[in-house]
Amino acid sequence: MSRRLASLRMFQSVRARLLFWILAVALPIYATGMWLSYHTAEQGLEADAIRRADQLAERLASDLDAVIRPIEGGVYTVAHQLEEVDPPRSEYLQRIRGILNAWPEVYGSTIAVETGGRNRQVRPFAPYLFRRGSQIEFSNLARESYAYSSLPWYRSAADGLKPLWSAPYYDLGGGQVWMITYSVPFFRRLENRTRILAGVVTADLDLDWVRRTAARVALDPGGMGWLAAGTADDAFVAPIGDTQQYLVRFDPALRDTTIRHAAAAMQQQNRSFAALPDGLSARPAYLAVRELRTLGWQLTLLMPEAELLAGARRQLNRQLLLGTTGLLLLVIAVSLVAAGVARPIRRLAEAVGEVSESDLQIRLPERTRGDEVGVLTEALRRLRDSLQQHVQMRAQSIAAEHRLEHELQISAQIQQSMLPHGEALRVMPRGVEVCAALLPAQQVGGDLYDYFPVQGGALLFTIGDVSDKGIPAALFMARLSALLRVLGAQGGGPDRLLAEVNSRLVEGNDACMFVTAGCGIIDPATGTVRYASAGHEPPLLLQLEGTVRSPAPDGGAAIGINAGEIYPLQEVLLAPGDLLLLYTDGVTDAEDRAGARFGLDRLATLLRDSAGLHPAAVVERVVQTAASHAEGFHATDDLTVLALRHVPEGVTAVSIAGVPRWYINIGDDAVGMQVAQRRLRSILVARGIVGGRLHDVELIAEEWLTNVLRAAAGRSLPRLSLELALPEAGIELVFRDDGEAFDPLVAEPPELELPVDERPVGGLGIHLIRQTARSCEYERLDGCNLLRVQLDRIE
Amino acid sequence: MSLTIVTEDTGVPTISLTGRLDTHTAPQLDAELTRLLAERGAVTRLVFDLGQLEYLSSAGIRCFVRSRKAIEPHGGKVALVNPQPPVRKVLEIVKAMPPGGIFSSIAELDAYLDDMQRKVREGE
Repeated sequence: MSRRLASLRMFQSVRARLLFWILAVALPIYATGMWLSYHTAEQGLEADAIRRADQLAERLASDLDAVIRPIEGGVYTVAHQLEEVDPPRSEYLQRIRGILNAWPEVYGSTIAVETGGRNRQVRPFAPYLFRRGSQIEFSNLARESYAYSSLPWYRSAADGLKPLWSAPYYDLGGGQVWMITYSVPFFRRLENRTRILAGVVTADLDLDWVRRTAARVALDPGGMGWLAAGTADDAFVAPIGDTQQYLVRFDPALRDTTIRHAAAAMQQQNRSFAALPDGLSARPAYLAVRELRTLGWQLTLLMPEAELLAGARRQLNRQLLLGTTGLLLLVIAVSLVAAGVARPIRRLAEAVGEVSESDLQIRLPERTRGDEVGVLTEALRRLRDSLQQHVQMRAQSIAAEHRLEHELQISAQIQQSMLPHGEALRVMPRGVEVCAALLPAQQVGGDLYDYFPVQGGALLFTIGDVSDKGIPAALFMARLSALLRVLGAQGGGPDRLLAEVNSRLVEGNDACMFVTAGCGIIDPATGTVRYASAGHEPPLLLQLEGTVRSPAPDGGAAIGINAGEIYPLQEVLLAPGDLLLLYTDGVTDAEDRAGARFGLDRLATLLRDSAGLHPAAVVERVVQTAASHAEGFHATDDLTVLALRHVPEGVTAVSIAGVPRWYINIGDDAVGMQVAQRRLRSILVARGIVGGRLHDVELIAEEWLTNVLRAAAGRSLPRLSLELALPEAGIELVFRDDGEAFDPLVAEPPELELPVDERPVGGLGIHLIRQTARSCEYERLDGCNLLRVQLDRIE
Repeated sequence: MSLTIVTEDTGVPTISLTGRLDTHTAPQLDAELTRLLAERGAVTRLVFDLGQLEYLSSAGIRCFVRSRKAIEPHGGKVALVNPQPPVRKVLEIVKAMPPGGIFSSIAELDAYLDDMQRKVREGE
């Protein structure tokens, strides 16, 4: 048990399962939450970035407007005054100086007059004032080499007839700086109220202030931006803040022109915020582009993804940290809870695992918990208690069983001792061989057999089968046995004995037990059996010649049922060598595996095959055959067999080729003769030879004996014997004596015609023999006289 | 295997035999006959009732012959009444009795005796 606990694999434990399922549910939720949060943060940051780009563009536009709009206004005012007032050219310089003085951002300014078209007669005039350090210097642009009227700053305004800003240009002539020029045309009114172009007022702005303005703007850390006038490579570009520094750090190979081209391409697609296209840089970044409302310049912003999303990343990291910590705490908490649940269960399992049959002391925790484990513990406690109780009861019942077993053994011994045994067997009357066997199905049984000598040299034998089995049957059987012994010894026939026993046992037979019994008394001298049956199986008679009969089929009811029951007396004659077999239904009812009964026919056949055997051998054979018929099968009933054979002294019985023969020794006195004659008569009667034929045979025997005795008068008697054989339909007698050779058949027949007083006494015997027998033969053989006499069985 | 002898000694002595009359029991009958003859002196009539006699051998026959020898010379007569077939058979084989010495029943014997008496009376 504990070994199996130990081998419980890690992932099978309660803890592992809890952790697995909690993590399986929690992790996706955490992950989804974090992803959503990050995504939201990312989107927020992007929107933020876009908003800041807009703000920056607006701010830059404002900053530029703050400079540019006043200058526009001032230059326009000058141009307007020139149209309205049309001052003399001498005042032009003063007005130009006024512009320079008003706006420090203005690097230089001129008023250039138109000399083409209707002003063809006007001379070129373009005084130019510009700053050099803190000084304002003069330069005349109307010199031949310069030809201002063909230059872009002049032409575009003069041709367009409206104010405009030039694109930034790198001024090679004046200050070697980036400039832009604001050009405003001014007109002169003619008499016909038409206005013709009179010239262009310009103000040049040094873009250095734009650079400074841009440089002053603080971008987000890592952010980069450029304010550019157009997309050309040589266009004016003002990096914003610390852009150049950051750009080198971001990607040393990346050029701002490349970025601005990408931004321009984006702008053409009407997109103001997008990822930096692939291939431009190894590092991801976002690009924002805005067109400034002032001058139409572009503001390009480059935000490295790392920096832009740094906030989101930080948030993600925080959430990851928080989530991981939370999960870790969850795992710990679950582990603790699981361990808290599993530990008492494991402890219970170990306690139960240590239980063995000999030790049921399950050590359960005393403290009762309120949870399921507490319920389990309580259930185990109840189980243990009832188990202990059960084991105790079992021990008691085993002890009781042992006691009962012991008592049963003793009972069996007592019961065995009630059967004839030991000294009792030695006082059996002569002339009878008896043997019996009892095979109890249980230790004690309800079968019984007994035999003991009774008055007149007879032998009483009995067999019984109590209706029940086991101890009740054994007790009943003991009563029966005692009654049979006591009442049997008092004399009387078996019919009276059974009736007497019945009347005793019927009384107070509340248990309604009954017993079938067969009881017989055999007279060993004659082989006469008086037999009565109380519902018992009729006995079987095995005759010497091998025929089996049922000679006493009648009987009364079983003992213990009817008060006053009468048991008819039956008589069976046993010839010497005949065997009477009594048995209980345990023999005939013995069933084999297929349920086939041993049956009466099998028993009869077995008995027939056992002709000539000693009763002990017959009993053994019947018991073994019946038992092996039921081999491997638990015997359900006691099995009892009793056999007795009539073996009178002085008679040898054999069966030769189915013909029974009896050799009767004849004693050498009158008593011996009488005995021999009785034997002969008994055999004949037992074989159904009665009436006249019986008389004939007896007469022949007597006459022969008398004759031999008379012949030997005065001398010692010869040894005599008589042999009786009963072939089919015949009777054969062989008389033998070892006296002097004497053939009685040669004697003259007696003078039967003489008057009685003249007849000699004697000589009639041989005559009677010859007249009675069918045939008589004399033979002298081996020193003996043999007289062979044959008769027909039927007279 | 025994013989029972009942002697009815009134007028005509009648000996009823029950059982077996053989070598072993014949001496009993002999003794009875001796006693009877000694007591009665001259016996002119002797009847053996054999109705209950089961067995008869030559020894028994000798008893009857002996009684005939004792009585017949004095003009007496021995009668056997009602022998059973086996017994009658033995008697017939050895011709133990003269013709008219065996009667089937007492009635037959009585009729015979009455007839004899009448003849004697008429002869006298």
